[in-house]
Amino acid sequence: MLHIERLTVTVEGKRILDGLDLEIAAGEVHAVMGPNGAGKSTLSNVLAGRDGYEVAGAVTFDGEDLLALTPEERAARGLFLAFQYPVEIPGVGNMYFLHTAVNALRRQRGQAEVSAGAFLALAKEHMARLGMDPAFLSRSVNDGFSGGEKKRNEILQMALLEPRLAILDETDSGLDIDALRVVAEGVERLRRPDRAMLVITHYPRLLEHLRPDRVHVLQHGRIVRSGGYELAAELEAHGYQPAAAS
Amino acid sequence: MSTGALLERLAPAGAADARAARLRAWFVAHGLPTTRAEAWRYTALDDVTAALGRAGPPPPVEPEVTGALVDELAGDHGGPRLVFVNGRVRADVSDLHAVPSGVWLGGRGWEDGDEDPPDGFAALNELAGTDAATVLVGAGVRVDEPLHVVHLVVPGRAVAAVHPRTVVGVGDGSVVEVVETYAGLAGEAITVTNASTRILAGDSSHVTYHRVQVEADDALHVGATRVEQAAGSHVRATSVMTGASVARSAIEARLSGAGAEIDLRGLYLPAGRQRHDNVVTVDHVAPHCRSTQLFKGVVDDHGRGSFTGHVIVRHGAAGTDARQTNRNLVLCPTAQADTRPWLAILADDVRCAHGATVGRLDDEALFYLRSRGIPLPESRALLVAAFVGEVLEGLSPASLRERLTASCAARMSRAGR
Repeated sequence: MLHIERLTVTVEGKRILDGLDLEIAAGEVHAVMGPNGAGKSTLSNVLAGRDGYEVAGAVTFDGEDLLALTPEERAARGLFLAFQYPVEIPGVGNMYFLHTAVNALRRQRGQAEVSAGAFLALAKEHMARLGMDPAFLSRSVNDGFSGGEKKRNEILQMALLEPRLAILDETDSGLDIDALRVVAEGVERLRRPDRAMLVITHYPRLLEHLRPDRVHVLQHGRIVRSGGYELAAELEAHGYQPAAAS
Repeated sequence: MSTGALLERLAPAGAADARAARLRAWFVAHGLPTTRAEAWRYTALDDVTAALGRAGPPPPVEPEVTGALVDELAGDHGGPRLVFVNGRVRADVSDLHAVPSGVWLGGRGWEDGDEDPPDGFAALNELAGTDAATVLVGAGVRVDEPLHVVHLVVPGRAVAAVHPRTVVGVGDGSVVEVVETYAGLAGEAITVTNASTRILAGDSSHVTYHRVQVEADDALHVGATRVEQAAGSHVRATSVMTGASVARSAIEARLSGAGAEIDLRGLYLPAGRQRHDNVVTVDHVAPHCRSTQLFKGVVDDHGRGSFTGHVIVRHGAAGTDARQTNRNLVLCPTAQADTRPWLAILADDVRCAHGATVGRLDDEALFYLRSRGIPLPESRALLVAAFVGEVLEGLSPASLRERLTASCAARMSRAGR
């Protein structure tokens, strides 16, 4: 589904990713771990199409050149990024935003739009599962939300937009144990044989819930080690240095 | 052209009366303002004075103006509607049958008092203007439906100057909403509108006033709204500008009675080569008055939007609370925004706060919206709508808020490149 080959990313002359290779098949959950500054967030941002990076190498999504697409086209193809720092947008109502996004995707995919009434019912159903107060729909997007509320709002968006490839950029950071469980369950519900996930994290706790198929260590701008779920436990015990040296 | 010749052209001398003679003498001596005057610095005055130098009187009342056309250009807000076309009242397209008791609405002659005019445009307006659109509300009257005054300009074959006048007098303790719309048609020749509005808010009255300028893209518009507030009066005034190639909206509020409050809001959206200039003056004369200004500009293409916010706190105006905010969104590198706070505080024990920003659309927010599949033009429009929404929030009547929101959205979809 996602194929990354020799991905090199430079920001203001500084090389952040340096020949990264990664292959994710449908139905798989991959975790990328690594120390601060290893390039984890750069990887997720480049995949989602953020400006400001010099990018070389190849990235295809279902065989299509992902790097040639705008962020909205990538979303229409089924890519979703749960932001590490969800953006606050005062003045744009959360419900209006979510409804607009769902219909924008449906339009681009040639599907019929969803009415406001039907969408509201669907949103409330998902919010109940995520333990979110429906009052969040009438507030501005992420405006004044706590860290945990913002992360839940990301998972809500993910549930409503039904992506085929979800990238979670440190969605677990700053969450207490209960919030982490709710988020993990939200992610788990999305799992299907035709979907894939790329989970970027510092901590193994989310991975305990999700049990990824593959764990990768990103260091110095490339994948230096890959393994099964047991690699996460080893990293927790020994840190990144021994893994990088091996 | 000499000021005397300009005066003869725009306001030929008629029957001698003392007031007219005084205004004529004042105008000949002072003429029109220039951009050397601070309050006129950002107005594209050359275009206006050049057009006035060529302007004649407007074409006779246009028969093709219908109620449906007025609906389209100015909207229908449910209450009575007084329509002027090219400075003259048009009873046939006005709707005055539902004017409530205690309210007088119509056209009538009006003198601006016996003081010197504030500037040459005001002098010309009084001399050349015809009947004023007049809204008089008695004491203790609560008017439920909005009163709508429409000034329509319809161009003819030659450059024409129109001098619309509006007078709103509100008695003690009364409550009223007035919407004033300046609209027009595009035609062969351009029009110059030189508008003057006076609002007198009596003791403890509540006055809501909205000034909407949506004239044709090639029109020129210079307008001034002068508000005089008695003790305990509360005024909420909004100025929205989307029309005209050069437009100036000056609002001057004098808080002359203790405890008066004014809440001023404004929105201006110059695009193309439009110039929109706002000059707001709040004069705190009496003690314990409160004023707020919230003005927002969205500038696009080669447009230029300007804001000057002048707050004067006079000796003796203790306990004044004055706040001013001006925010500008610059949508492309060729657009320009000017912001100028101008505070003169001559009293002690006052609170004055002001803030001004000029910025671009937030790239982070734009990326966030796009990453959710919302196309770039729609994402931009969404962010601009959120920006202007603060000014229109809670605006009454709802029909006006909806109309303005829709017209802003229509302009923003143009801006959404």
